[in-house]
Amino acid sequence: MVTKISIQNLRKIYDTPERRVHALEGVNLNIEDGEFVCLVGLSGCGKTTLLNMLAGFVEITSGTITMDDKPLTQDYDKGVVFQEYALFPWRTARQNVEYGLEIRNVPEEERRKIAVEFLRIVRLEEFADFFPHNLSGGMRQRVAVARAMAFDPQVLLMDEPFGALDAQTREELQELTVDVWQKTKKTILYVTHNLSEAVYLGSRIVVFVPNPGRIREIVRVDIPRPRDDLAPEFIKLQRHVNDLIRDF
Amino acid sequence: MQTSQAAPSPQMLDEKKKTVRRPIWVKLRPTYPFIVILALWQVAAMQAQGNQGRLFPTVDAIVYRAWELVTAPLFRALAENPNLGLIDQFLKLLESPILLHTIHTAWRLPFAFFIAAVVGTIVGIMMGRFAFWEAFFVPLLSVLLPIPAIAWTPIVVIWAGIGDQTVIVITAFASFLPIAMAVWTGVKTVNPVWIRAAQSMNADKMTIFRTVVLPGSLPMILSGLRIGLARAWRAGVGAEAFAGIRWGLSAGIFDAQEYLDIAFMMVALSVLGFFGFFLEKVLFQPIESRTVIRWGMMEAMGAQDKKV
Repeated sequence: MVTKISIQNLRKIYDTPERRVHALEGVNLNIEDGEFVCLVGLSGCGKTTLLNMLAGFVEITSGTITMDDKPLTQDYDKGVVFQEYALFPWRTARQNVEYGLEIRNVPEEERRKIAVEFLRIVRLEEFADFFPHNLSGGMRQRVAVARAMAFDPQVLLMDEPFGALDAQTREELQELTVDVWQKTKKTILYVTHNLSEAVYLGSRIVVFVPNPGRIREIVRVDIPRPRDDLAPEFIKLQRHVNDLIRDF
Repeated sequence: MQTSQAAPSPQMLDEKKKTVRRPIWVKLRPTYPFIVILALWQVAAMQAQGNQGRLFPTVDAIVYRAWELVTAPLFRALAENPNLGLIDQFLKLLESPILLHTIHTAWRLPFAFFIAAVVGTIVGIMMGRFAFWEAFFVPLLSVLLPIPAIAWTPIVVIWAGIGDQTVIVITAFASFLPIAMAVWTGVKTVNPVWIRAAQSMNADKMTIFRTVVLPGSLPMILSGLRIGLARAWRAGVGAEAFAGIRWGLSAGIFDAQEYLDIAFMMVALSVLGFFGFFLEKVLFQPIESRTVIRWGMMEAMGAQDKKV
């Protein structure tokens, strides 16, 4: 396998007026091309900070991140799916998906074709002309996934994208995410605090612990897909990750 | 897995909403308060006798006066020359004082409001975008906003003289202030998640401004324009009276005070009321229902349709 992203000795320190926050310390991680990596841990363990650094929202204090052996630039192609509903309310589902293509000056006709294609992948083609406020929460996040992928980014960064959804919708979207990942072979980094979700989705799970935020262990998930979240091996692995998060 | 939640299917939404037939007395509800007030007015006016009666005309007297105000020049001309042509008759109709007053107010006010909307939006955007202009304008606007614009009238009259220009300056200034403030607030408070989403797709600053900040702050901009229009209306009507100009609805009202012409005042006041109502209905409601309401952005701001 080819290494897509390489993170070395990454450190992040925030200085607030009250105190200095050690968000990340000594993080080393290699992510392979086409891998589905889940980042888990208690709140304040730095998993979202790491994702935001990869997205270019947060500056690196020290250490390096390289992508395809080159230092990470601000403007590499990444698709980000946020926990909050981040669709533009003044654009229809299709126009939202077209946004990244517009930025890249894709001609209108092609833009439209690609957008409809990605809406079909997330099973929403018949809702293409709906405004986000007429869509349910789960549908909005599906549009957000389509929008993040439509311009063919190198990596997909997802920050608890289904955290605000009800359990049934979340399961449905997890299944869809695996489906999309298998179809597009994208490298995905996925932050979650839901361990069952991490075991269901990830090819590897990176377990973070706080104070300072650091990697405790990287767990490989070898359960064949589609995974059954009630199978003994699934539950055993989930318990193992749970122990890693809590006892340190 | 197929969608199993109760999401609206396109077919359902495509169907025309069933129009609920409401009885006539429900439809007429907005007119009730006016009927009550007119009835009370009529009863009170009929008690007033003699000289008092002149100062407190009945509703029918006011309606007759309105008719007279509109048609007086025409009838006078017809009395002199019964064979007046149709076009001349129409031109005579346009000479009616109430119409002339209305026309003058009707062009000055939207003109001044338009200037204020353009300048206010530009200043508000500059304040929202550049820290320098924010620091420059915020103290200025904070000091100017509490001063009723009408209080500037004497100064403007001395500098600009008596005439349309004075009324326009006062009106535009009055409505510029709240528009600039609202646009500034709107630009500053655009949901940061939308901006991050655009950034994550590598949109540059100018593109983000054009495609995210502007549409995202539209609800605030529209409400600023609406407040601006209301203030323009108040200031403009006041300035007309104090600037000593001849034509304009409120200039007419203050003239009528000299002649104790209560009926004229009531007619002019009604026209002012209708005018404001008309601007709201024609200008703002179509824009809103086509944009922020269609996008569901008013609900997000906390507007509610239902009574609690």
